[in-house]
This record gives sequence, C-alpha cells and structure tokens, in this order.
Amino acid sequence: MAQSDGPTPLERFINGILPENPVYRQMLGLCPTLAVTAAMKPAMTMAAAVLFVLVCANIMVSLIRHLLQPHLRILVFTLTIAVFVTIADRVLAAYVYGMSKALGPYVPLIIVNCIIIARCEICASKQGVLPAIGDAVGQSFGNAVALASVATVREILGKGTWFDLPVMPLTSGDYGWSLMILPPGAFLTLGLLLGLNVHIQTVQARRKREAEKAASTALATSA
Amino acid sequence: MAEEKDPKLEAPLAPAAEAGEKVRLPVVVPTAQLTKRPTGNVLGQAWLVLVLATVFGAGLAGVEYALGPIIAQNRLNETLAQVPSLVPGATQGTADDAVIEGRRVFRALDADGKLVGWVVPGKGQGFADKIELVVGLDAKAETITGLFVLDQKETPALGDNITRADFRGQFVGFGTGVPLDAKRAPRDPGTGTIQALTGATISSDAVCTIVNQTVAAVKAPLAAAASPVAVN
Amino acid sequence: MDYLAQLLLIGLGAGLIHNFVLYYFVGLCPFMGVSKKIDMALGMGLAVTFVIAIASTLSWGLTYYVLRPGAFLSSWALSLITGQAGEVDLTVLAYLVYIFSIASSVQFVEMYLRKYFPPLYKSFGIYLPLITTNCAILFACLEIMKNVVGVDTAAVWGLDKALVLSVGGGLGFTLAIVIMAGIREELELADTPKSMQGAPIAFIVAGILALAFMGFAGIDTSLGKLMLGGS
Repeated sequence: MAQSDGPTPLERFINGILPENPVYRQMLGLCPTLAVTAAMKPAMTMAAAVLFVLVCANIMVSLIRHLLQPHLRILVFTLTIAVFVTIADRVLAAYVYGMSKALGPYVPLIIVNCIIIARCEICASKQGVLPAIGDAVGQSFGNAVALASVATVREILGKGTWFDLPVMPLTSGDYGWSLMILPPGAFLTLGLLLGLNVHIQTVQARRKREAEKAASTALATSA
Repeated sequence: MAEEKDPKLEAPLAPAAEAGEKVRLPVVVPTAQLTKRPTGNVLGQAWLVLVLATVFGAGLAGVEYALGPIIAQNRLNETLAQVPSLVPGATQGTADDAVIEGRRVFRALDADGKLVGWVVPGKGQGFADKIELVVGLDAKAETITGLFVLDQKETPALGDNITRADFRGQFVGFGTGVPLDAKRAPRDPGTGTIQALTGATISSDAVCTIVNQTVAAVKAPLAAAASPVAVN
Repeated sequence: MDYLAQLLLIGLGAGLIHNFVLYYFVGLCPFMGVSKKIDMALGMGLAVTFVIAIASTLSWGLTYYVLRPGAFLSSWALSLITGQAGEVDLTVLAYLVYIFSIASSVQFVEMYLRKYFPPLYKSFGIYLPLITTNCAILFACLEIMKNVVGVDTAAVWGLDKALVLSVGGGLGFTLAIVIMAGIREELELADTPKSMQGAPIAFIVAGILALAFMGFAGIDTSLGKLMLGGS
C-alpha cells in the first residue's frame, strides 16, 4: 500500500478521461448512460451528481483507508456512497427541482453505480487523498464525456436541439426522430458508439504497429 | 448499476488488457488481504462503521434540517406557480389545509385575497406512464377554468402534445356536471366532447379520465367550502 | 374484482409495459453480462426475482412502519422518548436503509439456500453476491417508496401491491434476459462486423427488443378501462 507505488494524481486524472473511460473502456455505469441521456441537460446534471459523489466518497475512503478492516470495507464504501448520494439528491431537489424530478430514481441509483464503488476499491482505498481526487475527477469527466456523447446524438436527432438550443431545424418540433428519445434509441445509440469506439481503437493499434514496423525496418536498412 | 466480477462484456475490453484487471469488482476479498486476520471482538472490528454511521447520521440530519423546508416549498411552488394561469383573476394561491379524499387542494385568490377559484391536482395512468396534472376550477367548482400538465412521459411528438396550450385550452369553460370524453369529433361543451389529439387518442382519453376523477372527487366539498369562505 | 384488476395492472406494468431493463434500463450489467447462455440467463433471472421479492418485502415494511412521516414505529419511539405524540419523517434515511436491506437479504438468501436447498444453491447461488449491486432491486424499492411516501392516504400501497410490483418486475427481467440469451446464442453464428462484435451488437439487439416491448405500451390503460369500468 505504499503511496509512491500508485499512479500520480495527474496520471489518474488523465487515465480517467479516455484511456480508462468508465463507460467506453470499462463498461461501468451503463444504466445512467442510457437512462438520462435523452437530452443534454439531465445528462450533465447526472454527470455533476456523479462527480460530487465520487469525489466525496474517494476523499472519505482515502482518509480512512488505514483503518479499514478488509472484510468490512465494502460495507463502509456502501455506507459512504449512500450518504453522499442522499446529500446530492436533497441538494438537487432543493435547488434544481425540475432536474431532480426529471432524473427521478436515477439519482438514488448512483448508489449502485459501479463506477463509484470500483474507484473506491481500486484507487481510494490504496492511495492518498490527492491521487484519489485526481482519479475521481478524471473518472467523472470520462463519465461526463460518455454521457455527453450519447446525449448529443440523441437530443440532436430526437429533438433538433442541444442543451435546449435549436441546432438542427430538420429534426425539430413535429419532425423529431422520436425513437431517439425513447428507450430503444438509447440502446441503438450506445451500441453504435461502442462499435465506433472499438473501430477507432483497432485502427489506432494497427497504425501504431505499422509505424513501429516501418521504424524497425528503416533502422535495419540504415544499419 | 450492477457489476460482475466474472466474464462480462469482453469484446471491447480485449484490447485493453490493463483495463481488464481494473474492471474486476470487489465482490470477493482478495486472498492476499485475507491473510490479515480480523482482530479484536465485534466492537473492535466494527467501531469504524459505528463511528461513521453516527457522523453520517448527524450530517444527514443537518442536511435535512437545512434543505427539507426548501424541498417541501419547491413541491408546493410547482403548483402555486400555475395558479394565475389556471384561474382567471387569480394573482396568488395558497395551499388549503383541507385535504379532500387525499388531495391537497389549493385556493386561488385575487389581489384582495378573495377566493376566486380552486386548483386541484390529479394523477392517473397515461399511455406510457403516469400523468400528473392540475385542474383550475371556479369558486363554486362549476366550471373548469384551466388545465396544466405537471409531469408526463407520453410518446414524444404524439402523446406529449397533451402539454400544448391548444389541447389544454379545449377544457376551459366545460361544466363540471358532464363527464368529459375524448372523441374524434369537434369540441362540444354540451356533451363534454374533447377533440382527441391525432395519433394520441389514448393519451387524450387518459387526460379526460383524470380530469373527470379529480372533479368528481372534489366538486361537492369545494362547492360547500366556497360559500362560507367567500364571506370572509 | 377491482382489487384483482389493480394487482394485474401493476404486475403487467412492471413486467411487460415498463420492463425494468428495456424501459427503465436498470439491471443492465447482468442483462449484458450473463446473457450468453439460456440456462445461465434463466438462473440469473430467477435469482433476481427471488431476491427482489424478499428485499422489497423488507423495504416496504421498513418504509411503511418506520420511515414514512407519521409511521407507526417512529411515532411510537418519539412518544416514548419525548413523551409527546408527533410525526417523525425519516425518509432522508431511505436510501441507506434500502441498500442495507438489499445487502442483508442477499446474504440471508445465500445462507438459507446453502443450508436447506443445496441443489438450488448450486444452480443460482453463484449469482447471488452479484445481485447486491444490481440496480433493478434498488429500483424496485424506490418505486415502492414512491407509492408509500408522500401520496394520498388512500393510495398508499400495501404489501400486496409492493410484492406484485417486485415479482412482476423480476419476472419481466427474467423474460428479457432469457430472450436476449436466446438471440445471442444465435448471434454467435452470425457474421457480425468485427468492431460490432460482443457488446456493441448486444446493445443493438437490446434496442430492437426495447422497440418490440414498446408495443405493450397502452394496454394497461385500455385494459384498466375495460376492467375497472371506465372510471
């Protein structure tokens, strides 16, 4: 559990955004990714709530990491997460009531969002507060990027708007592609985006291999 | 969100071997950590949980104390904000203490504080999910003066047109004596006919049903309440 | 008759019309992760149904008797401590209580099965620890809470409705995951583009399934009108 062994805060932060993106690379937290992404506003509210809960839970767990009994730690994680989720839920209901109503049960469902418990286990219970914060913020940003990508596709195609601003008149008003706002649209969008993501990864890997090959042959010929 | 420790969506993870290790979820205690045997009696092991529970309990009580009234007010404001648009002449609303058949009724008051109407919430099953709405009634609960949909999840571009002003406007002026019915026919207050929305007959019908139930539940008590209250 | 009709509508609503996975997106991880083989999917589905019924009974009891404003036990405790009658609103603790009641019911079911029904434990015991973090179960508890806390006194759900909702939802989940497994078994033989193999195509299939389940929308309204006499 030496602190110096783990990745630094900055590494943790950068990792979370794309290389270890919780949704696209680790397939965690899929339920909100599908459920609240009919439009950008609820999606970003959700991302903010996850950010709050993840940062608080990571700090808390990191602070008490030396006191944790191995067989009780999941209990402690769950307790911590449930408390911060309750706080987030109350704050949303008090200050952005409309959003809180729109998100409905998906705010309390953050408790069982595995992004958070996974980060508590993988990072916060092993490293100091700073890497834990870096990790939490990075992972939440990664989560936000994923939510935003799905929500952008769905809102623009479904309602012709983005953050409620009209951007695509073709699909606005009565001409919206309503399927995109409905549940099937969520599955289809995420499926296609995941496929795209895998495709990009394979292409990148192939390019890298080819570049290395070219470099090694160039080295061989010059020698 | 549920997560498993065993093989799951492996395909996109395949290229990311380093991520594969991280996806494994903490369901099972790694054996390396089990070598550190739990020490002490129950209290010795669980003191952290108990302390945390106490601290968190206090924290939650604080949050609830600070935010509870705001949340309760938000819930009321949702309806109160609609009062002026639902009852002509009303400038403000107050929540009535009386609860009629479990419904919290709102009084619509004009600038002088005189009772000019009522706003009553109603709820029922729509096409896709529950529809929540509020109905404005005049002081004697004889005429519908307005309708507003607070919450619905009907089909976008079809059923969710029940929130549109032209559909809701149809209800204004209907007497509360005749049950409303959504039909493929022009609006007619005499027979209680509401012109149903194209492609959303069930949603339109659901709104009519909810309005009927709401009105039926509160009509008599409100009419009775209006007479003595109007004097004050 | 009206009573049975109401129960039927709640069960149908939770199982088919508002299917937990395909309409509310809860329980997606097992839906995607354990839907490779039909028998495994069936085991998972039944395990979820089993736990969901127990957890929702527990959480309904706690909500009804302890958490909701003016609940019997909390009011009694208040009068015992302060000597005055009054209402206590403990709903802020609801999420905490639910997650722990789920965790403990999973633990309990696991121990019970291992002791008294070893064959049953063998067939779906392996899924039980995973279910603790299954959001379908917490979701069922939250849906029940929505119908117990903050609604008209006459409309507060009893244990019967809560159970019908949770079992209906669990069976709906089982149905969805078994159908999914059936499709994915066939999908193994299909020529899927390389980047779409695995999870991406599974999501597309789920999307089409969700589209199919949308066809159930509205039957509860019409059925309700038929059975409850149009009121």
